Amino acid sequence: MKRFFKTLGLVVLRELKIIRIRPIFLLASVVVLAFNAFFYTTFLRDGLPHDMPIGVVDMDHSSTSRNFASQLDATQLGRVIHYDDHRVAQSDMQRGRIMGYVVIPEHFNAEVQAQHRPTLPFYINSLYFVGGALAYKDIMQMTILTGGAVERQILRMKGTNEREIMGRIQPIVLDQHQIGNTTTNYGIYLNNVLLPGVLEMIVILLIIYAVGQELKYGTSKHLLKMARGSMETAMFGKLLPYMVIFLALGLSLVFFLYHWMHYPLSGSIWNMCVGITALVLASAAVALLIISMVPTLRLAISVGAIYSILGITMAGFTLPVDGMPELIRPLAAIFPLRHYYLFYVQEGIYGAGFAAWWPYLVYLLLFLFLPALGFRRLRHAYEYLDYPRN
Amino acid sequence: MKLFRKDSYVRTWLHHAWEICNNELKMIFTDGGAIIIFFVGGLLYPVLYNYVYGVGMVDDMPVAVVDMCHSSDSRRFINKVDATRECEIAYDCIDMLEAEKLMQEQKVHGIIYIPSDFSEKLAHLEQATVSTYADMSSFLYYKCLTMGTSYVMLDELKTIQAEHYAAAGFSGEDAAMLIEPVRREENIPYNPAFSYTIFFLAAALMLAIQQTLFYGSALLAGTLREQNRSFASLPDRLQGVGMGRVVLGRAAAYMMVYTFVGTVVLFLVPWLFQYPQRADMWEVFILMLFFVADCIFFSFTWSTLIRRRETVFVLFLFMSPVLMFLSGVTWPESAFPDLWRWFSYLFPSTFGCRAFMNLNTAGGTIVTIAPQLFWITIQTVVYYMTANIAVFVENRVIKRRIERQAIRDRIAERLGIDRDKDAYIIGGKEGVERLRQRREGKIG
Repeated sequence: MKRFFKTLGLVVLRELKIIRIRPIFLLASVVVLAFNAFFYTTFLRDGLPHDMPIGVVDMDHSSTSRNFASQLDATQLGRVIHYDDHRVAQSDMQRGRIMGYVVIPEHFNAEVQAQHRPTLPFYINSLYFVGGALAYKDIMQMTILTGGAVERQILRMKGTNEREIMGRIQPIVLDQHQIGNTTTNYGIYLNNVLLPGVLEMIVILLIIYAVGQELKYGTSKHLLKMARGSMETAMFGKLLPYMVIFLALGLSLVFFLYHWMHYPLSGSIWNMCVGITALVLASAAVALLIISMVPTLRLAISVGAIYSILGITMAGFTLPVDGMPELIRPLAAIFPLRHYYLFYVQEGIYGAGFAAWWPYLVYLLLFLFLPALGFRRLRHAYEYLDYPRN
Repeated sequence: MKLFRKDSYVRTWLHHAWEICNNELKMIFTDGGAIIIFFVGGLLYPVLYNYVYGVGMVDDMPVAVVDMCHSSDSRRFINKVDATRECEIAYDCIDMLEAEKLMQEQKVHGIIYIPSDFSEKLAHLEQATVSTYADMSSFLYYKCLTMGTSYVMLDELKTIQAEHYAAAGFSGEDAAMLIEPVRREENIPYNPAFSYTIFFLAAALMLAIQQTLFYGSALLAGTLREQNRSFASLPDRLQGVGMGRVVLGRAAAYMMVYTFVGTVVLFLVPWLFQYPQRADMWEVFILMLFFVADCIFFSFTWSTLIRRRETVFVLFLFMSPVLMFLSGVTWPESAFPDLWRWFSYLFPSTFGCRAFMNLNTAGGTIVTIAPQLFWITIQTVVYYMTANIAVFVENRVIKRRIERQAIRDRIAERLGIDRDKDAYIIGGKEGVERLRQRREGKIG
């Protein structure tokens, strides 16, 4: 036992020297995660975009149309840009300068007063996803209000009392609640899963790189010799420093999100720590399997790159998995981030605790058996270096 | 004529550039990794995403309903929600507790609660409330519930108002005037159903071109540097001149490859998936040429940071999602913080994605995308110059390789690090040998 720890110490020490010589290990882990955390939290700091450019083509030039434009401008979401020509607005929307526009036709006011029910056309650029959807919501609400204002005017003229007017204009109101993200904050929604996704990507790429570079530079034989021929000791010692770095990053991420940034969290921060630890371990296991199956650094890195980018998509927090084609859905289970996301939904959004999330934790831990599948293959590659190096 | 003499400047220039271009092409086509990235990667990603996203919509999202009213009004409301494309009433719960449990178990992604006084309030001409609870684990769930219930709410307004006004003695045009004094006419021309795929793919195609070009060329550059035969050492053979030749010669090679790859990505992939193509083909082609030229010099400049073959993925893969956001297709550009707006100006994809979307998906013309083409041109010029500078600097650095190693030795000594011993611990005798070769300037 004492001998084992001594050997292990030597291997760990060697790995620390490698990390010291090659800046890539710290750059691609600590710096990359810090950059991403900084980027996404500052980029989406508003939660929801406000003052989006929305066009109003006023061909009526009446008090009603001016009133409409200024009210639209006063909404939190919109900022009105005035146009005189329908075609200019149309081409500006095509250029992505405005997210949508409303056309107030000629004689609009007169027709409203004459009770001719004029049409109010509006156009939305749905190619800009969040922007388009919000502009749609904003314009829609504005037109409903305009209709309501006209209706109110008529009802008043007919002598209906004020309390009844509201019941007549809008007999049903929706009282909307957003569970887990009460302010509909896009940044909170995204960062809760995207940043752990970036961490998963970092873990996968760096573990593949660390294990694979021994093969590429032919130093694996030396490592095995140092570990007294034991592949288990060699791998354990080699991965130990990285796992310490990654776990520290994972825990920092959890505290960054839920403690420092005060992201809403129904459950406990300690349970999230458990989740992220499992995510890091599972990702490392997948990485080890990839490099064992494809013991050529270049190929393994490419596989890891495709896998980790797809993992973010397949987690199902952008387009939900039920929206994907049926054949694709089961594939989501092969990505650790998918289980972490479901774990987060239970703990972070519903605070449902261990009873609800234990299956996801088990799935994540099941990934730990994966390296066993390719371990002999990797040992063979480490001993004989018989795979192409480039 | 002097211009055509064998040793004229123009002829030697062309001759050298041609040789460099040929050499680069040879390298591209003999390197398995580069071939995979250029020809498979550029195609694979868009195709893969198309399969993963499918139609890109969530239809009939399961919703639980808690109907405390049990009246014909509430039932009509619920049936209408069930009939929308967005929602499906999957469970009828007796109380909120049961519904909350279903949502927590992710069996439903929304709850509609109708209070017991719903129909009473309607009968008394007061405002009745319907509460909705959205599962925020995905924004699309939220969107489905909001849109589904809003449509029904608007539709119900008309039905209920018609009833009210009929009871009050209004009918026909009179009632219609009251119910809908202004008629809405919604037009959502480019992506009527708000499909995730259509919006995502427009940006993803251009991003695929830029990213594969960058990864592939950085991989080749890293390989050369590893093997100590960087293209930056070429000017030495040409007696110190010829940065332009090196940069333009290599660029020509990538231009040839990417005219092909770009055509496949921008024309074949959308055709395969019947993705809307509303622009003139030649205009898209012109945009592609501008964009590819920009991407080439962009890659030449930034790949200077890559010293080894595989490190480009490890260091820069995370940029792909970042660039997706910077292209402005998800988050509107008007909401960018200033720092990130300036940052986004560094990347061809920022303008490329927008231009492609406005041109191809929104059906614009070359005039529509003039502002983006303007920025792409500026970027091309700037990155061409920086690519030249990069070759110049790298050439200097290569020449000073031995001195650089000596400096590193001195620094290590001062910090108390024994480089030879470390090299032995890491790689054994071979490791020491490699360090010796590095000191002699034989490997990079």
